[in-house]
Amino acid sequence: MTANSSSLGRARRHEFGRLLNIIGPFLGLLFVLVIFSLQSEVRSHFLTPDNFRIVATQTVIVALGALGMTLIIISGGIDLSVGSVIALTSVILAVLLRGGKPPWMAFAFAVVLGGAIGFFNGALVTSLRLAPFIVTLGSLGIFRGAAKWLAQEQTVNTGDTWINHLAMTFPEPSWLVVSPGVWITIALAVVVAILLRSSVHGRWIFAVGSNEIAASLSGLRVDAIKIGVYATAGLFFGLAGVLQYARLGQGDPTVASGAELDVIAAVVIGGGSLSGGEGSVLGSIIGALIMAFLRNGSQQMGWPAYVEEIIIGAVIVAAVALDRLRSR
Amino acid sequence: MKSNSKVPRWEVGFCPGLPWLVSVGIVCLVLGCAPKQTPTRGGSTEGPKLGEGGKSLKLAVIPKGTTHEFWKSIHAGALKAQQELKEKGREVEILWKGPLKEDDRNEQVSIVETFRTQKVDGIVLAPLDAKALVRPSEEAIDAGIPVVVIDSDLASEKYASFVATDNKKGGELASDRLSELLGGKGRVLVMRYQVGSASTENREAGFLEGLKKSSGITVVSSNKYAGPTRETAYKTAQNLLNRFGSQVEGVFTPNESSTAGMRKALEDTKLLGKVKFVGFDASSDLIEGLKNRDIQGLVVQNPLNMGYLGVITMVDVLDKKPVDKRVDTGVAMVTPENMDTPEMKELLNPPLDRYLK
Repeated sequence: MTANSSSLGRARRHEFGRLLNIIGPFLGLLFVLVIFSLQSEVRSHFLTPDNFRIVATQTVIVALGALGMTLIIISGGIDLSVGSVIALTSVILAVLLRGGKPPWMAFAFAVVLGGAIGFFNGALVTSLRLAPFIVTLGSLGIFRGAAKWLAQEQTVNTGDTWINHLAMTFPEPSWLVVSPGVWITIALAVVVAILLRSSVHGRWIFAVGSNEIAASLSGLRVDAIKIGVYATAGLFFGLAGVLQYARLGQGDPTVASGAELDVIAAVVIGGGSLSGGEGSVLGSIIGALIMAFLRNGSQQMGWPAYVEEIIIGAVIVAAVALDRLRSR
Repeated sequence: MKSNSKVPRWEVGFCPGLPWLVSVGIVCLVLGCAPKQTPTRGGSTEGPKLGEGGKSLKLAVIPKGTTHEFWKSIHAGALKAQQELKEKGREVEILWKGPLKEDDRNEQVSIVETFRTQKVDGIVLAPLDAKALVRPSEEAIDAGIPVVVIDSDLASEKYASFVATDNKKGGELASDRLSELLGGKGRVLVMRYQVGSASTENREAGFLEGLKKSSGITVVSSNKYAGPTRETAYKTAQNLLNRFGSQVEGVFTPNESSTAGMRKALEDTKLLGKVKFVGFDASSDLIEGLKNRDIQGLVVQNPLNMGYLGVITMVDVLDKKPVDKRVDTGVAMVTPENMDTPEMKELLNPPLDRYLK
């Protein structure tokens, strides 16, 4: 600090720093868009409504996962079982549909099952006092296995229902513009963002993630809050499973393997701190979009898949470096 | 809460955007030096020649994966077609892109979707899954981009043509060979490849049906799946041989990765050469196995021809010429005895270098 920095100036610069924190992910997204748009061979296909629709639809599954993961990461936890839960719920949905159950019932069951798995993870984390990393590493295996068992190691094919239309890139009716799944995700993101910022429960989650002991001493029921967070996140993972089913038109027990890493990366790129207490819904969604646009743009550039992987890896490291700078 | 910590943020994170700038810098770097798909554009000084359609065609060729040698042959075949068409004055650009893993349905769906927005002229697709690829393919077809399916079938009526090996016939060739080797009696093990892959399911079905011709042969296991990679195939094969190794006289595997995995597992259990082993597809190490008589038969397809005919058929479709709904690309049985004949040599060692640079 220099001698001539008045407290007013400091406050201003503090504000400026906060602003940069918030708009950092936006800048990242903008940079990605601009960079691909500068390439003349790609621009005419990249900056089109069709392409934005497609990227939006492709992002839905990771974005829904990131919504849940944002809550968990803010509370100081982590959940590695997302991909497995997506696979299991998509398989359950397909099995129920194949068994002739009405679509709404299969839909609800898949979402609730996701919540139940979240509850299970949360209960293990709090009651056994195990690190969430370990618990969910275990459930990653358990539920992936359960999905394969239920599906009898095969993809579960079903007839078409309205659920399949949730992931249609070009929806009917066409005034929807983007697929219903995108609208659902946007609506949920708005709700979660508002609740997280303004409701008591939302602030509790931040409190638990920032300083668990302090939160506990000030009378918060930390365990109940944590279980609630995992269960709520599980509902989102279940919904992501429903959309995964809709996207492929089948229950696939091997789907979304490694999705947990995309989901966590989205949250981290969007400003979530793995040490808890920080993160935002908007940031996470943008994080998911950044990765989706990078993949999409790289493909349109005609790059081999490994180039995408290297770039996305570099972006993740850069984002974590940001995380370290902020939480030091 | 961290935001209330005593250290003002601007001090530690004077530029929180810095890592972003760094990452953007990396992206720029990559943009500058990333390998672009240029092997397909010729005649740089005179500009692209115009073909009959009046413009250079952009064709996407989408394999199931990019790691198997099989797909390299397909790629070579596609480039061979491109060369031939160019000699006829027809300029075609081949955009080659596939998922890295052969069970990544989601990734392949995304690839098809992106090529659709890129407005390529046609898509030549080897679908990873008969059902999952239907929606994106039909979306492309509805947008006026014809789709020619290669290798594995797609559960759709809308595609222009299906250019592939007659897999059932390939499975039957394998069963004929194995029952010839076993003298018409014995116990046989089948390690399947992967669920939802129509081509290998047909081979397995053709094999099992073919075995029924010889009543002395029983199948001890045919319900285990090798999975997408050599590694998964190796593990499954180890487990299978652990359980059935002492009871089987013959083994069949329906594709390159499952054959390679099974061969390694047979080697581990010292069964190589003792058990009659018939596989499917040829890669350099499997040909080596044939030479050493570790493998007694390989059903080989003609992937080079498949890639070639896939592109040729697509160009015919775009020229509005009539095409067959089903195009057979050929299948043959290679044995240690016939592997040195010229026609088998060409099949086993397709001249990839001539096309892939």
